[in-house]
Amino acid sequence: MEANMPESSRTFLDPTVLSRLMALPLNARHAMLGSVSGRHRSPVRGSSLEFAQYRKYVPGDDTRRLDWRTWGRSDRFYIKEFEADTNLRLCLLIDTSGSMNYGPAGATRFEYARKLAGTLGYVAAQQGDAVGLWSLAEKPVEIPAKRGASHLGLVLDQMASLQPVGDTTLLTALHDAAEKIRQRALVIIFSDLFVPPAELKSAIQHLRFRKHDIAVFHLLDQQELDFDFDRPARFIDLEGGEAVLADPSLIARNYREAVRQYMHEIDDLVRTTGMDYHRVKLHEKYDDVLARFLLARLEKKGKSS
Amino acid sequence: MTFLVPALLFALPLAALPVVIHLIHLYRRRQVKWAAMMFLRMAQRMNKGLSRLRQILILTCRVLTVAAILFVITRPMAGGLLGLTGGVPDTVIILLDRSASMEQQNLATATSKRAAGIAKLSQALRDTVGTRSKLVLIENARLQPQLLDKPESLIDLPLTGPTDTAADVPALLQGALDYITTNQTGRTDVWVLSDLRQSDWDSASGRWPALRSAFASLKGLRFHLLTYAQPAAGNLSVSVQRIVRNETADKAELLLDLRVTRSSTSHEPLELPLRFVVNNVSTTVKMEMKDSQLVLQGHAIPIDKTTKRGSGRVELPADASPSDNVYHFVFDEPAVLQSVIISDDESEARPLQAALEAAADPTRKYTSTLLPPSRAAEIPWDDTALIIWHAPLPKADDLISRQLMNHLTAGRTILFLPVESASAEAFGGLHWGSWTTGSKPATLEWWRNDAGLLANTRNGTALPVGELEVTRRCDILGEGTPLARLTGSLPLLMRADIPGDGNAWFLGTLPGSGSSSLARDGVVMFAMLHRALNEGARSLGKAQQREASATALGTGDLTLWKRQGPAILSTEQPLRAGILENADKLVALNRPLREDSPETLGPAAIAELFAGLDHHIIEDQVENETSLASEIWRTFIFIMALSLLIEALLCMPARRDPQLSPSR
Repeated sequence: MEANMPESSRTFLDPTVLSRLMALPLNARHAMLGSVSGRHRSPVRGSSLEFAQYRKYVPGDDTRRLDWRTWGRSDRFYIKEFEADTNLRLCLLIDTSGSMNYGPAGATRFEYARKLAGTLGYVAAQQGDAVGLWSLAEKPVEIPAKRGASHLGLVLDQMASLQPVGDTTLLTALHDAAEKIRQRALVIIFSDLFVPPAELKSAIQHLRFRKHDIAVFHLLDQQELDFDFDRPARFIDLEGGEAVLADPSLIARNYREAVRQYMHEIDDLVRTTGMDYHRVKLHEKYDDVLARFLLARLEKKGKSS
Repeated sequence: MTFLVPALLFALPLAALPVVIHLIHLYRRRQVKWAAMMFLRMAQRMNKGLSRLRQILILTCRVLTVAAILFVITRPMAGGLLGLTGGVPDTVIILLDRSASMEQQNLATATSKRAAGIAKLSQALRDTVGTRSKLVLIENARLQPQLLDKPESLIDLPLTGPTDTAADVPALLQGALDYITTNQTGRTDVWVLSDLRQSDWDSASGRWPALRSAFASLKGLRFHLLTYAQPAAGNLSVSVQRIVRNETADKAELLLDLRVTRSSTSHEPLELPLRFVVNNVSTTVKMEMKDSQLVLQGHAIPIDKTTKRGSGRVELPADASPSDNVYHFVFDEPAVLQSVIISDDESEARPLQAALEAAADPTRKYTSTLLPPSRAAEIPWDDTALIIWHAPLPKADDLISRQLMNHLTAGRTILFLPVESASAEAFGGLHWGSWTTGSKPATLEWWRNDAGLLANTRNGTALPVGELEVTRRCDILGEGTPLARLTGSLPLLMRADIPGDGNAWFLGTLPGSGSSSLARDGVVMFAMLHRALNEGARSLGKAQQREASATALGTGDLTLWKRQGPAILSTEQPLRAGILENADKLVALNRPLREDSPETLGPAAIAELFAGLDHHIIEDQVENETSLASEIWRTFIFIMALSLLIEALLCMPARRDPQLSPSR
């Protein structure tokens, strides 16, 4: 699989990081409906070794699943059911609006998102899960989740070719993805979420309605939070909007107040939608962020969900 | 406000430099590629009003700072309450009231109101107009415009020195008006330096409306009133009403009627040392003053029997107003109180003659001559105090008319009585009308009892004027000052308004029994005639009491007059109080007594007098040592410092919020 990757276009994949993260599985927090067996729980009963429940026999059931010992004790027919293991569909939703291009060349927010998404895609593919790619920008990319090394190659190549330009279409793209991803999937969003939280909430709820497991990597730069400028400047909108002349000494306080308010609304949104939210600052090491993400998803001992 | 370096005002547009720099910076700001525009716009929306206001304030402060610096280097000048308004006039006319009351002093520095005002005005004019304007001085004594070469001359000129004269402010303004209209002075500033004494300003005078309308028609005229209305606290003034040399068999003495007045209304007893100096021999008498006035009647000062003639003065202790602390007097053997009656009608003239010859003062001689009108030329002009003219009024261009006018100018008096034949001739603005005979005798409804011929006696008792009955009266026509009116506001006695010291009265009836009860009752007629006679006799004799004025010593050669005491310029001789001698004449010059009256005009009265004129009042005090116009660069330095401080405060960055720590 690795031999198929063109080295030059996949610089966002770091073999060292990949090898380190391979030890950690990518788990879904909800039951998945996969097409093949895998390591994730399925909502249907299967033939794994893990006991699920007893239920009464109804005509038509496979008699091979009758629990004869229970029949012997109670003279009643019970079917013994076991958990089914299946694979998951991992949908990587990358925001490719102009604002993702923020940051120094080679270390932009988009580069950071691509590293996160590429690594996660690779980890998922390695454990036999299907991987798909959706870009949330003017130029849509929709690669449905599929298994296989060649499909992963396609996803990574497509990821490498994405460019962050234009206005944000995050909300439209989320609604669109909620409609188009038919089966349950782990949907991971990589974005700066520079949209009104109230509108974002309805898009996330749309995805939740489709029973998707949603994780969000909210990518922010420390400078965007602090607004730590000393001189007046002309602020050029990366998404092509009107430039703003501003004196930081005059508006910094209000800016910070606006950020605080926004963060407060995002926290509310996370509480109400139950999404797996990760606020990431661009100076953090992405492998640490991913390790934290994967570790948080490990099933806790004794937890039965 | 004026500027010593006005050319630098052209640099004032530089004050807009901060705005220009701001605009340049606006378009040359560094560019920052920014993603979180959502927060930026939100912050701007939250901050819009306050931010704009702050920015405007900062720019305003910067502009003010630059403007203040520019103003500082233009060296701005301002007067009291920023009174000196901008622009240098073509002509500056200074109207100087140097009356006796202007000598009121600041006791600490001995600076008079006049000296303080002149010093401040001189400095202000030097600093503001310099020699760029034509400077003209008109002072109250001579009313002659005098050109000045520089403002500093005001301090040195004898024309601005002290006098003991009275001021006639309407006449000063008339002098300014005449000068302006004659010389076409262009933009003119008129400075009036005065202590606003009511007696000098004569605000009730009919001349004011005429002056106002004349000044209102002139363009570019501004009045600046530099006033010193501050009264002298506890001031005492002395005056001598009468001086008589009395000689008996064993002694001789001078009898003085004198009055000491204090300005405050205090009734606290005051021990007053009065110093009398007679022929350089001084005596001091301590008097107790209980009321606001101390009146001494017939205060005797013993003199040598051989001293028939001499001079002296009464002095009060020094106070804030030195000009009214001394009163000079002269004495001599009294002149004969001579009167002449010009009449054809002996029946009317005889009672008059009898009254005039009756000695009201037994120490003096009284003579009265009756002459028919045809022999009017025989009047002894030099020795006659009073002329009673019961004849047709002379024609204006007649010699006798001019002689009568000279008689008045010399300070003598005339009483005109009506004749049966009416004529249109007038004298002093008055002439006779027709006779009216009433069915029953008319009485007087009003007369002036505070001054004039019908005034109350010295002890305040009224003359029995109300008991007079007038059966025949002749109308008095023309403009004059009424002194008595009959029922129905018909004038019975009027004074003609004639310039000079003399007085001419018109009596609208005759003393005979066919016309009035004047001769029958006698008292009023006697008082009236003797008052007129005494008034005219003031200028008789070789020793005379006169009021200081430009004409006090006549029109002759002033160098002939020798002053007792320190010599002064001959031109100033008639203006200063003192004793002057010329040959056998002895004259005591004193301030006019109306200068003692402390009433001043209030701001409302001044505003009324100058209504409709561009005027500005600077109320100063003699103790105030700040100059009238001063450089006010300190004010602008202060404005600059204040602007910089405010700008710094506004530019101060807001306190840093605690760092957001949003990682989860």
